[in-house]
Amino acid sequence: MIQSLKEIYSYKEMIRNMVRKDLRGRYKGSVLGFFWTILNPILQLLVYTFLFSVVLKTGIDKYYLFLFVALVPWIFFSSCLVGGSGIILGQKDLVKKIYFPIEVLPICHVTSNFINMLLSFIVIFAVVIISGSKITYAALYLPVVMIIEYIFALGVAYISSAITVYFRDMEQILGIAGMAWMYLTPVMYSVDMIPEEFYGVLTANPMSPIILAYRDVLYYGKVPEATGLLTSFLLGVIILVAGFALFNKLKRRFVEEL
Amino acid sequence: MDAIILNDVYKKFRTYYGKSHTLKERVILRNRNPYEERWVLKGIDLRIREGEVVGLVGENGSGKSTLLKLMTRILYPDKGEIHVNGRVSSLIELGAGFHPDMTGRENIYTNASIFGLSRNEINKRIDSIIDFSELGYYIDNPVRYYSSGMYMRLAFSVAINVDADILLIDEILSVGDQNFQRKCISKLQEICKSGTTIVIVSHSLGQIEKLCSRSIWIDDGKIRMDGAPRDVHLYYQDFLGKKIIEARRMAESEKESAQQDQNNVAVSRNTSREAWVESVEMINRNGEVMSVFETGDKVTIRIRYSAVEPGLKAIVSVGVVREDGVHCFSTNTAIAKMHDLTLMKNGTIDFVIDNMNLLNGYYFLDVALSYPDGNRLYDYVSNASTFQMISRDGSTGLMRMEGHWSVD
Repeated sequence: MIQSLKEIYSYKEMIRNMVRKDLRGRYKGSVLGFFWTILNPILQLLVYTFLFSVVLKTGIDKYYLFLFVALVPWIFFSSCLVGGSGIILGQKDLVKKIYFPIEVLPICHVTSNFINMLLSFIVIFAVVIISGSKITYAALYLPVVMIIEYIFALGVAYISSAITVYFRDMEQILGIAGMAWMYLTPVMYSVDMIPEEFYGVLTANPMSPIILAYRDVLYYGKVPEATGLLTSFLLGVIILVAGFALFNKLKRRFVEEL
Repeated sequence: MDAIILNDVYKKFRTYYGKSHTLKERVILRNRNPYEERWVLKGIDLRIREGEVVGLVGENGSGKSTLLKLMTRILYPDKGEIHVNGRVSSLIELGAGFHPDMTGRENIYTNASIFGLSRNEINKRIDSIIDFSELGYYIDNPVRYYSSGMYMRLAFSVAINVDADILLIDEILSVGDQNFQRKCISKLQEICKSGTTIVIVSHSLGQIEKLCSRSIWIDDGKIRMDGAPRDVHLYYQDFLGKKIIEARRMAESEKESAQQDQNNVAVSRNTSREAWVESVEMINRNGEVMSVFETGDKVTIRIRYSAVEPGLKAIVSVGVVREDGVHCFSTNTAIAKMHDLTLMKNGTIDFVIDNMNLLNGYYFLDVALSYPDGNRLYDYVSNASTFQMISRDGSTGLMRMEGHWSVD
């Protein structure tokens, strides 16, 4: 374990290059190029704003912001859970051709999507200010929340990427599961809209405290609730350690299964 | 110090009958085994010392490439242990992780970092990599616009300039044009001398003899022979030669039996039934029956015969014909003034060639037993033996003429 962490660390240059390649390659060939990384969330936000302030009126004040501060972190998580199934399959050539610690691939994928999320947060900050809300000192908690989500997402990515190599249906199953999970998490609705008897679902879901924390910080401008976040953090660490161990075991026959 | 240690390594592959990865098939076929297990490596014990340059030879499917992949750690063994000490660079598949939209220079950084180099280490090597690739100002163009030759040159340059402790090579010395190939070989020779451990898989035995100090012959997942390249290759070629001869003999005997069924006449042999050749063997200086010899080797042609009664007088002849029909040499016991050669009921006669001076090629050996008058035959066997000659000194033609140069 220590040995393989050391090795992963020594491949940090590879991680850096792969992340850069992924971020730059994502919009390569398009006219606007890297600008899409910013443009994409802006356009999404415009659609939501139009939809929820003109067509579908909810009782929530500034619903577009309410939704958006939760949706962006969710999309990051979803790209690790659902998108994670393609991590190893997508790098087939690399894995089959050359030796390197394969453990770095999920790190590259998650980090690249994480940076994408950070760039979307530039848009979020702009919208928070433009919409007249204030960014309070609670925003200082944001890095903590992000790190907790990163840990959890990385653990999940290790699991989904390794299993999909052996069991290709996972890709489809995860697509559905990811959608269901989103609706079980208060991304589109607020906690008080949940009937009492379903409260258990909320507390059992480690993503709920994380999403709620983002909303607390950016929408309500208040300090997030600590106990929920702490549970998510502990769960995240457990998932990461377990996912890493599983990945380590399954990677031995990746090349033969690809 | 050993660079690579393999202890009793086994590896099996699963051959799927139509690979199934989907839920339906997993559920329905759960208790059947839709695959067959095949052991590719069956107990490999191997130590390669630091700085050794080793060749792996063997037929297709013998497991030598799998062995190399295990050393690279792309594959893991099913049983046994592998220890590899030092940074490994492999020239197995070149250009791993190249992105077509990125420039040659950017791809060098990515590719080299996949080999485990840090940014500083890459910065130190970048000039020599670009230099070696001969890409010039193309290095700042996207790789997408490279010709396949340019692409391979870049990939090779990175892999070879990583300064690995251990370099693993699989049949890739066919990169680029003649000039670049020559450059690669001389770079490899330079690396050999610098104390890097190298393992090469190649079908070109000449290449291995040029570069390696040791050759390992893998046959059917096991080490068949391990030693100096020349020795190992001689036995390996002999093995291949015998296989070809065996296949030819099988094909011929099928043809023959088909013909015999038709008209019931023996076509290949012309025997009097008084005396006949039982077998013909070619034997090297160590007393081993071989089908491959080196030019200059001592070769014994051993003819076993039988006769209906002892006391028959006979002349024994041998003749050598090259594959393309060129008659190389014939002699007989009469020429050697052995006029009183008398056959026993069963016996052997050896013809010893002190220096087999034929050069590269395949040859046929004919053997005959004839009456002392030399006009009628007891028995005549054409193609009694097929053999191959290998010459290493580079001279060409039919045969070596012993001689030396003298300059005033």
